[in-house]
This record gives sequence, structure tokens and C-alpha cells, in this order.
Amino acid sequence: MEARMIPVIRSLDTIGPSMLLCSLLPCSGETILGLRESLKWATDCLTEVDSSVAVSSGGELFLRFISLTSLEHQDLSRCKKVMEERGELFLEKISLSRTKVAKLCHTFIKDGAKILTHSSSRVVLRVLEKAAAEKKRFTVYVTESQPDTAGKQMADALRRLNVPVTVVLDAAVGYVLEKVDLVIVGAEGVVESGGIINKIGTYQMAVCSKAHNKPFYVVAESFKFVRLYPLNQQDVPDRFKYKADTLRTVSDLSDEHPMIDYTPPSLITLLFTDLGVLTPSAVSDELIKLYL
Amino acid sequence: MPGADKETDLTERIEAFLADLKRGGSGTGPLRGSGEMARETTYLLRRITAQARWSSAGDLMEIIRNEGRRMTAAQPSETTVGNMVRRVLKIIREEYARSRGSSEETEQQESLHKLLTAGELSEENFRQHFVHLKANVIEAINELLTELDGTTDNIAMQALEHIHSNEVIMTVGRSRTVEAFLKDAARKRKFHVIVAECAPFCQGHEMATGLSKVGIETTVIADAAIFAVMSRVNKVIIGTQTVLANGGLRAVNGTHSVALAARHHSTPLIICAPMFKLSPQFPNEEDTFHKFVSPHEVLPFTAGEILSKVNVHCPVFDYVPPELITLFISNIGGNAPSYIYRLMSELYHPEDHKL
Repeated sequence: MEARMIPVIRSLDTIGPSMLLCSLLPCSGETILGLRESLKWATDCLTEVDSSVAVSSGGELFLRFISLTSLEHQDLSRCKKVMEERGELFLEKISLSRTKVAKLCHTFIKDGAKILTHSSSRVVLRVLEKAAAEKKRFTVYVTESQPDTAGKQMADALRRLNVPVTVVLDAAVGYVLEKVDLVIVGAEGVVESGGIINKIGTYQMAVCSKAHNKPFYVVAESFKFVRLYPLNQQDVPDRFKYKADTLRTVSDLSDEHPMIDYTPPSLITLLFTDLGVLTPSAVSDELIKLYL
Repeated sequence: MPGADKETDLTERIEAFLADLKRGGSGTGPLRGSGEMARETTYLLRRITAQARWSSAGDLMEIIRNEGRRMTAAQPSETTVGNMVRRVLKIIREEYARSRGSSEETEQQESLHKLLTAGELSEENFRQHFVHLKANVIEAINELLTELDGTTDNIAMQALEHIHSNEVIMTVGRSRTVEAFLKDAARKRKFHVIVAECAPFCQGHEMATGLSKVGIETTVIADAAIFAVMSRVNKVIIGTQTVLANGGLRAVNGTHSVALAARHHSTPLIICAPMFKLSPQFPNEEDTFHKFVSPHEVLPFTAGEILSKVNVHCPVFDYVPPELITLFISNIGGNAPSYIYRLMSELYHPEDHKL
């Protein structure tokens, strides 16, 4: 089981956990409880390696529908078969979700628009790809996004699409916002209040956009919806804020830099998900529909 | 042959309606109310359902969608036409689901729940034929028509809860719904209304005349005086042309200024809008429209020399963001702007948002 986990961990796509969990199904215990236990253990292992909100939310969603399936079928082997089928379907739907999001969002990018984005997000990249494919002309400003300078990767990917792109310092967000027409960011997690958890620096960008009255759009797939309700930055659990080995090795976290921050829903204009275009107040409705 | 006659009769009516739409939009003449447009559209859709040739729900939806596209293309600023088409499409989907016997809940929106539990990637193609589908759909459309007839009264009935004695209410331009609302409250309460004239069409004047005829104390002010007077106003009650999907408004020119003045003085801004004005469009989307009419209202052609030296625009609509709005009063009751997404999901199916 360990051996199978290693290649998944290397890529750690958010689809990774679901794939892993899917592959676990054939070899698990004889009872539903046993199955749940082994899946929980698998999710914990994954989060230990590199904690991320998406891993946790994807894992929880997957666990959730086990309880849903077990209610329908009494016979365990039938149950497992149905779960495998649904798991495959789940993966299929997830891989389509980015396309759906791109289809909804690209109409909000007008010709000649100047877009600001933060760090590197695959969903935002897909949206911009779709807009470029629709022959729209736009320029992009990307923040460098320290400490891992992920913004440079985003800029390279955009240059390959022939989109004029400028990398700006994280500190230059306020400076650049007067030139910009709209801000689009991805999300690592969407919380119950309609706010988002994303790479550090997103909150700053949201506050500045509000001050400049620029629309702040978030693009996220629906499996990122997570059952958290943070009221401020402190409320976000440490296991999301810091890398897993930081948590293990360092005893005093006050010297460490958090990797993510929380953006409250009042600063977000619209969320584009594969469930449709949502206002932040609609997010909790969607979560309730699932979890009740 | 009677069949062919019916067909030609139907196409004639549709063409007449389209011509009417195109004509009605140009110029600032007596604009037909949205309520009338909604009713006409629904009558026409009922006729299409009754007279056009279709064998399954899918065919009917295709026909209605095509006609809907032509109608919205004829007059994009008349959003009620598109809204009614979407309502009828939702009715057809519901009746079809009911005929199939499946519970209505399952067929509706995407949700996280559906993501996990649904069967194959089901493509519902509405191909099955049901005998009573036509009758059911027509009955449901009739219910929709009764609802449309009652909207103004339903809204006016709520007036007494919101208007109290000795209050000063401000309104902008002319809205039939707000007029009925204020007239209903005037039967039992004494209050004062300030009407902003809303240049350049100055429909505020007609509104003031109408209100004073039933004995309401009315004052007409120029648009420039709105901020000055706002400190003495208790509530601002206005109508709108369209309610957008994010809870914002597309209302008559000048409404945004009123909304900002109201926000500055912390005065509640109440919108009286029936449900058929709710449209699934967002304000910054690609195919949003704006309407400009002849600028002679702003700068008449008699002005002479100056006309060749300046650009004159006369926009008809204004956007009001949802943060400035306190309450929406519609025929189904009062709602906050953040709740609009829910009302939308009840009225329209997400696949019909783009006709």
C-alpha cells in the first residue's frame, strides 16, 4: 500500500487523493467500518506528507459518499462494486469540472481587458486559455508570490499562449490595481461562509480590489468546498497554514511564515464553479445540500 | 386545409409580435410596461404550445428556444421576454419529469450531492412521448398567467407593512408598481412623497400627477437636488427595469446616484419588482447591453453650432450594485439581495440561462 502511495505523492494533483482512495477499495476490509477506517488512514497519510485544503476536502467528500452508498446496499460486495463505479464517475466529473468553470468564466473577460492574478493556479490558466482561444485580446499581471515564486511558472505558461504577461512584486499589487480591470484568482478551498483559502497574499489583493472597486472573481471546482467556518485568519487550522514537515520539525510556529490566508466573502464579487456562477451567499446553500 | 391555416396564423402572430418588439424599443414614446410584455409573451408561448407541431417535450423546447432567441434578438433591452421564455421552458421540464414519475428534486440543478450519487453521466433528452403532456403544459402556463395578472396587487398588498404615518418617501421617475404600492398605503396612512423628475424623460411629472390625484402630498424635485433633500427622507422606494442575477439592478438612468445618496445617509433603499423582472444575466458578462436613445432630449437639434463640436449621449439605463440595496419587495414577499440566487434557481433551470 505504501508503494502505491509514492507516485501519487510526487504529483499530488488534487485528483491524486481520489485516485488513491479508489485504488484502495479492492483491498480493504470485510466491513463498511473497516473500509472507512482504511480510507481515513489513507487520507491522514496524504495530509501528513503535504497538507493542503484540497486534499482534505476531496478526501472528506469521498468518505462522505461511502456513508451514502452503504445506506443503499446491504450486501458488502455489491456495495464495493457500486462505490468503485461511482469513484470512477467522480473522477470523470472532476476532470470535466475545470472545463465547465472555464466555459462560465471566459465571458466575463472582455476584449482589451487587463487582468490581475495571484500565484499559479491551473483553473485560472484554463480560463485564460479559453479566453485566448475565443480570440480575445487581454494582458495579464501575475504576482511573483513568494516564498516559492510560483507566479513565474504561471507567467511562463501564459507566454506559451502568446498572452502579454508581466510579473509584479507581491508588494506592487496596490500600485498596479489602478491599471487593472478585473482580478481573477483560484482557490485551494472554499469555506462555508463563501470565503476562500488561497496562497498567502490573496487577502491583501482582495482588500486592495475592494478599495479600488474592481471586481474580484474566484474560480474553483466544487470538490474544493470544505466544511470550515473561519471568522478570521487565526481560525484557519495550522495543518493548512504550514507545510507538514514544518509542523513536525518546528516547535514554535510564531517564527514561521504561513503559506495560505483566508479571504472573507464580503470582498469576493462572484465565484465560478462547475455548479454555476455563485454569489458568496450561495456557497453555504450548496454545502448544506450535500451535507444534510 | 385547417392545419395549414393554423400554422400560417401562428407564424403571422409571431412575426407581428417581433415587429412590435422592434418598433416598441426605438424612441422615447409611450413605452409599454414590462407587465404587458410579459403577458403578451406568455400568451404567444401558450399559442405555440397549442398550435405548433411537436411530438415530444424535446421538440417543444427546441421550438420555444428558437422563438425565444428571435424575440430576445429583436429587442435585447426587453428582458421580460427572455424571462418568460425561460419560465415556460422550466414548466415543460417539470411537467415532463412529473409525467415520467421521477421526483422533481432529482432532475434539477447540479449539486455536490449529484456529483457523488448520480448514476451514469445522464443526458436527459426529453424524447419520450406522453399523451397528456400538452394539456398539462397549457394548464401550467395558464397558472403562470394568473400569477402575472396578480403581481401588482400582491406587491401593493404589502405596502402597509413598510410605510408608516408621517413618513417621507422618495421615489424616482415613474413606475407602475411603485405607484400602485403607494396608492394602496395611502388608503390608510398619511405620508409625504418626494418624486425626482428623472431627466431627460421627466416621467417623474406623470408619477406626481398620478399620486396627487389620490390625495398624497407630493413634491417634485430636480435630479440635482436628490442629495440635498435625502437627509429628510425616511425611505427610498423605487422600481426597476431588470433585476440581475447577482442582486444588482438595471434601472432607469439616475438610480445609481439615488442609491449612493441613500447609502450615505443610511436610508433604506427598497425595490418593488415583480418576479418576472428577475433575469439570469450578470452585469459584467459579454453580451450585456446598454441602450442609448436619441440625444435630442439632452441637447436639442436647435442648439446649432455646438452640435458639431461635442458628443452627446443619452443612456437609458443605470447599474446599481447589490450592496446599496436593502430589500426587494416582489409578489412572493420581501427578500434580501443576497437571496436572489435562490429565487433564480427556483424560477429557471441553469441550462436555460443561455437560450
